[in-house]
Amino acid sequence: MLFKALGKIAQTFVVLFVVSVASFGLLKLAPGDPIQIMLGSEFSQASYDSLRAELGLDQPFLVQYANWAIQFVQGNWGTSYVARAEIFTYAFKEALPVTLTLASFSLLFAILVGVPLGVLSAIKKDTIFDAGSAVLALTGTAFPSFLLGILLIWFFAVKLQIFPVMGYVSPWENFWLGIYHMILPGLTLSTYFIAMITRLTRATLIEVLEQPYIAAARARGEPNWRVVWVHGVRNIAMPLVTILGLQLGVLLQGTVLTETVFNLPGVGQMLTSAVLGREYLVVQAGVMMTAVLFIGVNLLVDLSYPFLDPRLRTSK
Amino acid sequence: MKPIDHKKVLAERLSARFGRRTVLKGLGAGLLTAATTGAPSVVRAQQSGHIKIASIKVIDTLDPHFTGFLSSIQIINNIHNGLLKIVYDGKNVTFEPDLAESWDIEDEKVHVFKLREGVMFHDGTPCDAEAVKFSLLRVKEGEPKSPHAWKLELLETIEIVDPLTIKLTFSQPYAFLPVALNGSTGRAGTIVSPAAVQKYGADYGRNPVGTGPFKFVSWKENDAIELEANPDYFEPGLPKLERATFVLMNEASTALAALFSGQIDGMTDCPMQLVDQVEAFPNANLYGEIEGNYTFVGMNCKRSPFDDINLRRAVAWALDRDTLVQQAYFGRAQKAYTPISPPMTEFFDPDIATSGRGQWFDLEKAKSFRAKAANQGEIEAVYLMAERGPVGTRVAQTVAPMLAEIGIKAKLELVEPATWVKRRNASDFDLYDFEWVADLDPDETLYPEFKSDGAWNFGGWVNTDFDDLCAQAQVELDPAARSTLYNKAEDLLMDEAGIAIMAHMPIYKVFSTKVKGFQYIPADLVNLHTVSIG
Repeated sequence: MLFKALGKIAQTFVVLFVVSVASFGLLKLAPGDPIQIMLGSEFSQASYDSLRAELGLDQPFLVQYANWAIQFVQGNWGTSYVARAEIFTYAFKEALPVTLTLASFSLLFAILVGVPLGVLSAIKKDTIFDAGSAVLALTGTAFPSFLLGILLIWFFAVKLQIFPVMGYVSPWENFWLGIYHMILPGLTLSTYFIAMITRLTRATLIEVLEQPYIAAARARGEPNWRVVWVHGVRNIAMPLVTILGLQLGVLLQGTVLTETVFNLPGVGQMLTSAVLGREYLVVQAGVMMTAVLFIGVNLLVDLSYPFLDPRLRTSK
Repeated sequence: MKPIDHKKVLAERLSARFGRRTVLKGLGAGLLTAATTGAPSVVRAQQSGHIKIASIKVIDTLDPHFTGFLSSIQIINNIHNGLLKIVYDGKNVTFEPDLAESWDIEDEKVHVFKLREGVMFHDGTPCDAEAVKFSLLRVKEGEPKSPHAWKLELLETIEIVDPLTIKLTFSQPYAFLPVALNGSTGRAGTIVSPAAVQKYGADYGRNPVGTGPFKFVSWKENDAIELEANPDYFEPGLPKLERATFVLMNEASTALAALFSGQIDGMTDCPMQLVDQVEAFPNANLYGEIEGNYTFVGMNCKRSPFDDINLRRAVAWALDRDTLVQQAYFGRAQKAYTPISPPMTEFFDPDIATSGRGQWFDLEKAKSFRAKAANQGEIEAVYLMAERGPVGTRVAQTVAPMLAEIGIKAKLELVEPATWVKRRNASDFDLYDFEWVADLDPDETLYPEFKSDGAWNFGGWVNTDFDDLCAQAQVELDPAARSTLYNKAEDLLMDEAGIAIMAHMPIYKVFSTKVKGFQYIPADLVNLHTVSIG
């Protein structure tokens, strides 16, 4: 089991390397010149050249990549061209916590709503409740989060004025105010996941409830709630964790739109403005952070299987 | 300091030369201010209130000498002052002394500025003649080169007469000077703290230190720029606010929702498509008028097919400006006949529509020019467009069917903004649309854009008569004569259809009704000096 885990970790590093080279290269190939954008519409060739040299953009691609990679690993992410901001502080200490808060809040919310809804649908299979939750789930998956966000803003923040339109307050500094500001963006981002988790929980649980050990539990005379919530729900953990790990990409993608609509200073907004402004180093940092997050979470998912399913604990 | 004596001396000088000096008309009004407020403020302002304003456009830097964005100037202007400032009384735009207490003209090329006494930068260093010299030199010949250096190209020597007096000598009389020396669209005349520039170097734009009503506090990326009142500000009783926050946003509709719900108090820019909503909302005030700008369809005169003057003329007469105003500009803009725009009150002809000057929609005329064009077949032209500017791709989409009427098939190429800039600057297009904004003087509206080797002349239209007229106008101080020269110059541009002119746009700001005392200036400024919040 340990050997397997080490293998997975090694794989992770290879993937990270490929991601870093690819994103570094793609951005260089994209049209648009960072120096021209930095200097604005009026500049001399001399200032163009000196800036180019200062930023090391006159070096060959491989040298640029190697320099960047060595510095990056050491936590020295450089200074952004245009913003003149320390990228490590900006990306890692300021933007990342916002996105992580939003993503984890949404995910937690989605699980808290989605799992019970799915369980109820499974128990009340083929009733009006089940059909209703199916419609709700379908709507949730189909509704564009951008539009949903704007609708929520106009209804809850402008008309009813019970939630703020925008802004971010760190829950670590002011817990309740932070949560308060997270509700509308969290709801926007989690709609898709609530729907997905509901459907997944329902389908898996229906299957699980037909297993012999459930029949055995019932035969032992265990009460119905115990059969469903302990023996049944425990067994949906594995497919749920797997799907959530894989869907993390969708979640991170969703944060970009949600952050834009609700004006949260997270990684999504950072990446959007950095891509438009050709802030190479910021895009790099953002892509690497999301890649590490995505790959890291999936590694954790892989490593968590033996804990979720005792049958996997013995290595073959 | 003897403000009254000074005023007398200058008034005599002025009356002797009044006819030739009205271009500097801000002077009289400015002196009045100087006479009443000559000494640094004794009465300290009582500041209160915290205003939050959404800024939905790019802020590149808060360094006045390096920014290329008006959205940055809006904030910079609250932190810094210029030697002169722009004043608007609802009808006329004038230039008045700001950091300068007086402005004396020894002769046409020699200008003497006397500075206010006791003005300090936010870092506690004095704003004296040395600091002014430092700032002007930083623009003129600093390294890296300021994009505004051309505005001080004619400045020959800077002499410090005494610690509060500075004498500027120009190689030629320079009519553009009032614009160049103010802290707004001129940017070149904004005075920065030499100590801060030395301390922060290239990072000055993130740590600006000026003399303005507000001090810079912090700039959090994609989040907010915070300013706080400068209690030692030199204009008595100002500023009124204690704090000001510019909330950095990408999404204008979210900003509007935040304004309606009271979470923010204003927007530095209200896109034309949201104006209807603002007008229907009782608790917001809209500020905005047609500003010093013009929009146009640019044609590449350097290559086929638009190196053909008849084809360009056909385009110029084929654009239905009424439809453009309605569809592309939400009915908010004003048809343009020539580049010189309404706020340039000394140069703009209010009756231009009936004057017979410029370009307008006349399909018959367009077709007759088209019939004279070298290429009589269907012409396919690359129209470069991007989701940029005030209305994105709407202009291109409205223009394309109009061009089809005269047998030009516009191939609309949608690229991202960075690519658009690169291709425009490399003249890699047949057609594109653009706007030059926030100009207060015909010089900046015509000369750098269309002179033969001008850095912004992306269409490459060449006419040496035009160059000569603009160069003459630059050194002509009599406004009537200057106006004639510029009219001749723009008539050349319109006649040869270097561009097809479209519209003058209104630029809007919106504030909640709680916000009082905002003074609108038609140069896209958001000066918070006199603003208070109830």
